[in-house]
Amino acid sequence: MTEVRAARGAVYDRGYRPYDGARGGRRAAVLALYKASIRRAIGLRRTWRQKVLPFGLLAVVSIPAAVNVGIGYATRNSPLEGFSFFTYREYVGVSSSLLLFVAVCAPDVICPDRRQRVLPLIFARPLTGSDYVLAKLGAIGTIVFAFSFLPQVLLFVGQTLVSKDGSLEYVKDNADVLWKVPVAVLALAAYYAALSLAVSSLTARRVVAGAAVFGVTIISSIVAAILHEADAVGGRGPLFNVLGLPLLVRDLIFEGHLHEESDLAGVAGAGALAVAVYFAVLALSVGVLLWRYRWAEP
Amino acid sequence: MPRGLVGLVGANGAGKTTLFRLLLGLARPTEGTVEVCGHPVVSDPIGARGRLGYMPEHDCLPLDQSAADVVATLGELSGLPARAARQRASEVLDLVGLDEARFRPVGGFSTGMRQRVKLAQSLVADPELALLDEPTAGLDPTGREEMLVLVARLASFGISVLLATHLLDDVARVCDHVLMLDAGRLVVAGPTETLLHQTGKFTVEVNAGVGRLTRALTERGLTVVAGEAAMDGEAGAIDVVVGPDAEPVLDTIRDVLADLGLPLHRLSSRAASLDEAFSGGGEL
Repeated sequence: MTEVRAARGAVYDRGYRPYDGARGGRRAAVLALYKASIRRAIGLRRTWRQKVLPFGLLAVVSIPAAVNVGIGYATRNSPLEGFSFFTYREYVGVSSSLLLFVAVCAPDVICPDRRQRVLPLIFARPLTGSDYVLAKLGAIGTIVFAFSFLPQVLLFVGQTLVSKDGSLEYVKDNADVLWKVPVAVLALAAYYAALSLAVSSLTARRVVAGAAVFGVTIISSIVAAILHEADAVGGRGPLFNVLGLPLLVRDLIFEGHLHEESDLAGVAGAGALAVAVYFAVLALSVGVLLWRYRWAEP
Repeated sequence: MPRGLVGLVGANGAGKTTLFRLLLGLARPTEGTVEVCGHPVVSDPIGARGRLGYMPEHDCLPLDQSAADVVATLGELSGLPARAARQRASEVLDLVGLDEARFRPVGGFSTGMRQRVKLAQSLVADPELALLDEPTAGLDPTGREEMLVLVARLASFGISVLLATHLLDDVARVCDHVLMLDAGRLVVAGPTETLLHQTGKFTVEVNAGVGRLTRALTERGLTVVAGEAAMDGEAGAIDVVVGPDAEPVLDTIRDVLADLGLPLHRLSSRAASLDEAFSGGGEL
């Protein structure tokens, strides 16, 4: 008689285990949404395709810094005639690359929540509409800051190492850069984050939002150019350039006044106006965001 | 609303979703107060949400993320630490039968699997009360059965459930209590079993004298629902409503038939349904 061996195994029904561990409140929820938005924007926990654009752009915006340092190293004993390195001021706000970045990333962190109707799941958690806005602004602002600041760090460290006067002297001679760059980059990051998110919040489609971000900036720059050429509004036409406005604030941070090559040079009170318009755009952008998510306010 | 499994039924526009929004603090009542698990919603909606889990009716999942990532992220949004959220996500996805599929993108899931993910995310933070909006929507009979089994188990885990549905069969199968809304008003409320008992009936068919039978039973205090021919010809069948205790009703029917000397053709009980309870506007 053939002996049949029965298969041996066990089935475990682990059932349901209650959770009695730590629970964070609203602050923990905002932080979690902030981290999740950053992960989404730079493609973490997603396919490799979603990582290409953000890290590709980071590489693109870092190339000038690497080139600058490389040339500085190569010519440290025999300076090149007719060549001038770009300054830290000029390096803050590589506008077209940053614009492309925010036009892609901002819609990607805000539009899918609306299009895929995820918002009811989010607002069933201990989060208000303003918490949501804060987390999203923080996420895009952090990424834009990092992507603008890291190339600056690369440039500063590289220049320090290749300086023919020695690293210590270089740092002493450029100590003001250590606060001007972060402040200017922060001003840029906050502005671009708020503006791109506000425009993106008006639609559920990422492509439309991205195009709208481009559209708002490009159209405003065209309008500003026309006003400037026509010498209308007392020469203050450049203040209508949404794209260029944070660069005026950058100049004020670095130099204490508008740059002499600025289109607003010589216009009375232009610096103060630039700051006022900057904050007005920032406030309007945040206001649009809060208005779009007001239904989730308790 | 008592603890346990409670069914919330009503036609489209009756106010089921509005009630959920009120409980979540996303809408304010025009008058009165709302409390969730003893927690005032109007004054502290954020605190109230911490006790709730919510499963919306519509598609609401990020399609390009894995089920594990979706549930873990929503767990973190509920306030769980990151590691605990990942652990809980794994546990609840296992509970709903998605253990092996949890690392696949939600976009590739079937309707039934997406419903399970939605249920899982509503449980990840171990809520006191789970608000489930049409959990069997879009499911085939097998999927519906499996979902109802899952929902029925929740009460045994200490989780109360408010199940909004327009399918009375679902409510009759799994819910201990029933609330019915109509145009924003509560029209029926009570234990499911009691409502079914109230609408249980005996069918009495006689070969003659059905009109006299009807009058006699009514005079004895019973509720009689006459059939189409009951009032017209001598023979016919009537339904007699039975309450929680059927013995006295049967005794009365027997006594009346004997007193009147009517020829009994058939006496049978009929299973009640919630449809009849609601169409009759039953109330405790």
